[in-house]
Amino acid sequence: MLKSNPGLALCILIALAAIGFALFSGDPYYVQVVIWVFANAVLAVTLRFVLLIGELNIATAAFFGIGAYTTAVAATIFEWPFVISLLAAPVMAGLISALFGWVTLRTKGPYFLLISFAFTEIVRLFYTKSEFLGGNSGMIGMYPPMALNDYYPAIAVTILAAILFALYAAERSNLGRIFKAIQNNEDIPRSVGLNVIGLKILCFVIASTAVGLAGGVHSYTNSVIAPADFTFFVAVLALAYVKIGGEGHIAGPIIGATILTLVGQWLHSFGPYENIFYGAIIIGVLLLMPGGIIGLGDRFRGRSTTRRDPH
Amino acid sequence: MTSSETIMPSSTAGENVGKILLKAEQLERRFGGLTAVADFSFDLKEGEILGLIGPNGAGKSTTFNLISGFMPPTSGKLFYLDENITGKSATYISRKGLIRTFQHDSLLSEMSVADNIIIATTHRLKNAAARREKMREMAKLTGLENYLEVTAGSLPHGLQRMLSIAIALAAEPKVLCLDEPLTGLQGVEVAAALDLFEMIRSKLGITILLVEHNMRAVMRICDRILVLNHGRLLAEGTPEEVSRNELVIEAYLGHKK
Repeated sequence: MLKSNPGLALCILIALAAIGFALFSGDPYYVQVVIWVFANAVLAVTLRFVLLIGELNIATAAFFGIGAYTTAVAATIFEWPFVISLLAAPVMAGLISALFGWVTLRTKGPYFLLISFAFTEIVRLFYTKSEFLGGNSGMIGMYPPMALNDYYPAIAVTILAAILFALYAAERSNLGRIFKAIQNNEDIPRSVGLNVIGLKILCFVIASTAVGLAGGVHSYTNSVIAPADFTFFVAVLALAYVKIGGEGHIAGPIIGATILTLVGQWLHSFGPYENIFYGAIIIGVLLLMPGGIIGLGDRFRGRSTTRRDPH
Repeated sequence: MTSSETIMPSSTAGENVGKILLKAEQLERRFGGLTAVADFSFDLKEGEILGLIGPNGAGKSTTFNLISGFMPPTSGKLFYLDENITGKSATYISRKGLIRTFQHDSLLSEMSVADNIIIATTHRLKNAAARREKMREMAKLTGLENYLEVTAGSLPHGLQRMLSIAIALAAEPKVLCLDEPLTGLQGVEVAAALDLFEMIRSKLGITILLVEHNMRAVMRICDRILVLNHGRLLAEGTPEEVSRNELVIEAYLGHKK
């Protein structure tokens, strides 16, 4: 399988290199940056996963937060063991997303976008008003067990990389084909015996569970979380990663997240002007290369990746 | 309910016609103040090709949406294989083998021909190899075997029509409802499509409900024809009976004098 798919082989090598770096590099700052790159890649890839059925899901940010807060509550209030606290994150995100999706995925396009935006803000406001979640200042004290302390960065990168590979596998399966069919023209799958609403919910739950696990990892990585970390702006940045990297392939959001996260570290030195640079980069990319960075590669090979014009 | 008895018995339906597969009783569908279909009752019998014709806006596409579950009727009942399917979802009805095609947007324009057909096999076939085999079989049947990797939206129009039929066949229908499958086809293509419909009926044993504007084709291939006008059943009978019916001629050509 790897011989026929050199791109996948390369990605596995990169992931292994990142895990190795997290294990053996002595520099905590660069290790932290590597984890951020992978966490942002998961955010972007899960956002794109729901784009497969044609919906822009701002609630990616909310489920990242739900995962982070679930792990934080499990670890610091209930004092559950590390692995259970971590696994509580995807379980909680999955359950809430199933309910949320069941209610809201009957809407589409701008309606779903607005609902997912409102949900994200409501969840954030809930954190700020909840005493036991620490209100505006959030929660603190999520530490991996002492014995694992040196290995935690490598564990974090491993989990985040595994999420990316799992979502890649899901997209390559027949399920991914069905999701794309739903985006293209949902009447067709519906007319041949497929339960379109159920499949949309499934797509949404897979993405939310994945990003929820990433949220749990984030909780232990940062040790501190606050409501302000999980605003809709997290999803807007994830959308920027997707658009800049390119929507046509799962590698797009990963490349976009990597570049923008690294550029972002450099832009921090510009202080409040940081977001102006993001905006300029996004506008420039959308105008000059509508297919994103991935689209450029295809253009050189003479293929068009943007939607084909109806002749 | 006596509506079923009030249907005119069709005099000369095809020889191999059997039991009633689909039965509509006094179907009605209103959109606000507009009545698209009213008091429409009919039977579809196993093995026949039943035509549904009528001027633009007569309610043909609405009827398709009602029987395939894409839209619930305002009133009236639908029975399929002796089961009351009124108000059931499109997913439910298509799983039972009542498969429709679409007049517009009848395929997955951004996906390959192969993927279009494979999607339609996924409910019945869980094994990837079986799905591909079924896909090849259906592509061959509809003359698409050399276009498997072509993006559906860039196929010539005639082949797009064939693909929408291949999609429906891949879902293994008992009843196939074709919504204007001949629109935009050239003379040779029409002849080939009609041969395909005949083959679908005789070789695959699939019953066909056909909505079509091409009168010559409808008259040639259908065993029986239902004529809708302003959402109501205007006439029913064999092609000869319908083509001689004064009401039908009037509906299509306007009032005499």
